[in-house]
Amino acid sequence: MSERKNFNHIQYILPSLLFILVIFLIPIIYTLVISFFSWNLLRPDLGIKFVGFKNYLQALKDPFTWETIGRTFYFVIISVLLELIFGFSLALSLNTEFKGWKIVQSIILIPFMIAPVVVGFAWKFIVNNDYGPLPHFLINLGLTSITENPLLANPTTAMFMIIMADVWEYTPFVTLVLLAGLKALPQEPYEAAYVDGASAIQRFFYITLPLLRPSIMVAVVIRTLTSLRVFDTIFIMTGGGPGSATETLSFYGYRLAFQSYQMGYSSTINLISFFLAIIFTLIYMKLIGWDSNE
Amino acid sequence: MVKRKVIVVMLACLLIVSSIFSQVKLVSEVGIHTEAWKTVMNDFQEETGIKATIQQFPYSNYFDQLMLTFTSGRVDFDVPYISMLWYPALATASYIYPLNKLSGYEELNLEDISGIDNGWQNGNLYYIPYMNELGGIVYRTDLFNDPKEKAAFQEQYGYELVPPKTLEQYRDIAEFFYRPPELYGVTLMGQRSIFLATHFLQRLWARGGNLLDSEMKPIFNSKEGIEALQEVGEMFKYANPSAKTYVFQDALTEFTQGRSAMAEIWTTAMLYTENPETSRVVGKASFVGFPRPEELKNEKLPMLYISWGFTISSASKNKDQALQWIKFVTDTKNEVKAAPYGNIPARFSSINDEELRAKFPWLEGFSEAMENSIPTPMVPLIPEGNSIINDYIAPAVSEYLSGSKTAERALNDAADGVYKLMKEHGYY
Repeated sequence: MSERKNFNHIQYILPSLLFILVIFLIPIIYTLVISFFSWNLLRPDLGIKFVGFKNYLQALKDPFTWETIGRTFYFVIISVLLELIFGFSLALSLNTEFKGWKIVQSIILIPFMIAPVVVGFAWKFIVNNDYGPLPHFLINLGLTSITENPLLANPTTAMFMIIMADVWEYTPFVTLVLLAGLKALPQEPYEAAYVDGASAIQRFFYITLPLLRPSIMVAVVIRTLTSLRVFDTIFIMTGGGPGSATETLSFYGYRLAFQSYQMGYSSTINLISFFLAIIFTLIYMKLIGWDSNE
Repeated sequence: MVKRKVIVVMLACLLIVSSIFSQVKLVSEVGIHTEAWKTVMNDFQEETGIKATIQQFPYSNYFDQLMLTFTSGRVDFDVPYISMLWYPALATASYIYPLNKLSGYEELNLEDISGIDNGWQNGNLYYIPYMNELGGIVYRTDLFNDPKEKAAFQEQYGYELVPPKTLEQYRDIAEFFYRPPELYGVTLMGQRSIFLATHFLQRLWARGGNLLDSEMKPIFNSKEGIEALQEVGEMFKYANPSAKTYVFQDALTEFTQGRSAMAEIWTTAMLYTENPETSRVVGKASFVGFPRPEELKNEKLPMLYISWGFTISSASKNKDQALQWIKFVTDTKNEVKAAPYGNIPARFSSINDEELRAKFPWLEGFSEAMENSIPTPMVPLIPEGNSIINDYIAPAVSEYLSGSKTAERALNDAADGVYKLMKEHGYY
């Protein structure tokens, strides 16, 4: 009976397993294998040579890799943090039913529905010194020193503009996840806290935040992973410049693969990005407490 | 009766087989010069009985598609229409076939094609240019011919306002027309890209400098290189500040909207300025080759050369038909016929054609620049060429422009990177 039961389990999960194997595992394994080879598509005469950990050592020795990792961390941390703050605020504001709340919810989702390439073009327009609204707004605030150089041509502001575009696009996603979490919270703890005389701030910090941890975790992990592979917006807005000020790991990986055609080294850089994603996820799990059995 | 049926079936089979073999499959990007030569595809079929079919990809992923098709070994096209910059890599990998190994290639009348020398590699001809253009200055004829402007310029600078022949004149004219925000002296392309790299390359070559020496060692961090890079920075003073974020399309838009007196761009821009649907300067623009320093103005020096042309895939089973297509489409008569649809022909006989000159008067400046320069591809014609420009030169220019590095340091760092790359690839 138990054998039959096991057989049924395997039968049920086999299609999903095969799907994961083909779509997810095989490309990762292939990338891992390539990362141990020197393979340049433009120089087939040099052949595909096994080089062991040479690509990894080269990547780790190269200061540019570390600078790129630093920029990637900066981008991921700031954008996810801002998205969480804005997303949480919006979710709390929308967690009450008012006239037209469904329309408002739909409207705030619009940026999330737009393709990242279009977001890149839209933001390139928004920050344009000639006709973009943002520089004009900054000038009206008296911040002329910031707009002396185009915002995308200044190494200090360019990355922040990319972050702004990313925050604009993905805050609705965070809002959506947190709003779903908020709507599912039980009412009893709030009623008890109200009877005990807890203030709104106390209710937020001692009830809402702890109960919402799983939703926060989902939003943050998904956004971190998708932030790590940011590409389209950077490609359109700055092309990785000025200098290398907005070049993140995924962009660097693209450049190596599709401009220099160094498939082996590019795979190494992409795997470093993959390891970073795992590290980020583990840190979040630790911080939010998903690794314990709470 | 049965015999007759067999004969009919055999004839039908023969017809099908011959129709399969009497065709040539072309592959190209989506672009204006492709649209131009597409207009003679039917003529080709009428004249030769060979059917030409085409598959097109967006420019942004065309080369990737080609590379993936070639490396996977599933090549289903005969004639790739490609950028000149791409053919060395394809030739090194034997993905494309030497045209001089096909009988009848001599009929291509090669000496009439400008820049044909760039199509040869290791004694083999792989590439036939179809669209040729040079990097230079597109300028506003209405402003340059305005008597008031001429008088004011004469008074301010002490010489006549004419299209710039020297770098000094170019700078003066850019300064003269710098009247922001209505009009800018020059339009440049400052976003980190291959376009930005061209501003540096043109000035490097104009000073007699070069990217690599005969041993393929980087020499662009020379005195000429440093001066060239510093001058790129100088010229941005007379451009729209937003130009630091421009790529080709942005630059084109600024110029065609009449917001600058000159644009440092290439000849194709002229085709866009003549389009009344998008341009405000129709009939008010012309082209001149890139200027030189005063002391070198009569020298025949390298000038940025961009070309697209035809190659034949090594895997093609229809190489003779493919060559026939190339002969047909690059014939003077057909180049002239297709040009008004969006092409700058490669043959001297085509660009000097009276009918075409009447339609495009600016071809005169282009032809003159072509004859008085050494057309030099923006990327060295080696497999590493794209990497040298995209991974080292463009970031170096961008770093200097953004103030992250001095000209000397940016170029020295780039030269170190190029040296390492070339060494790894066995050049020394």
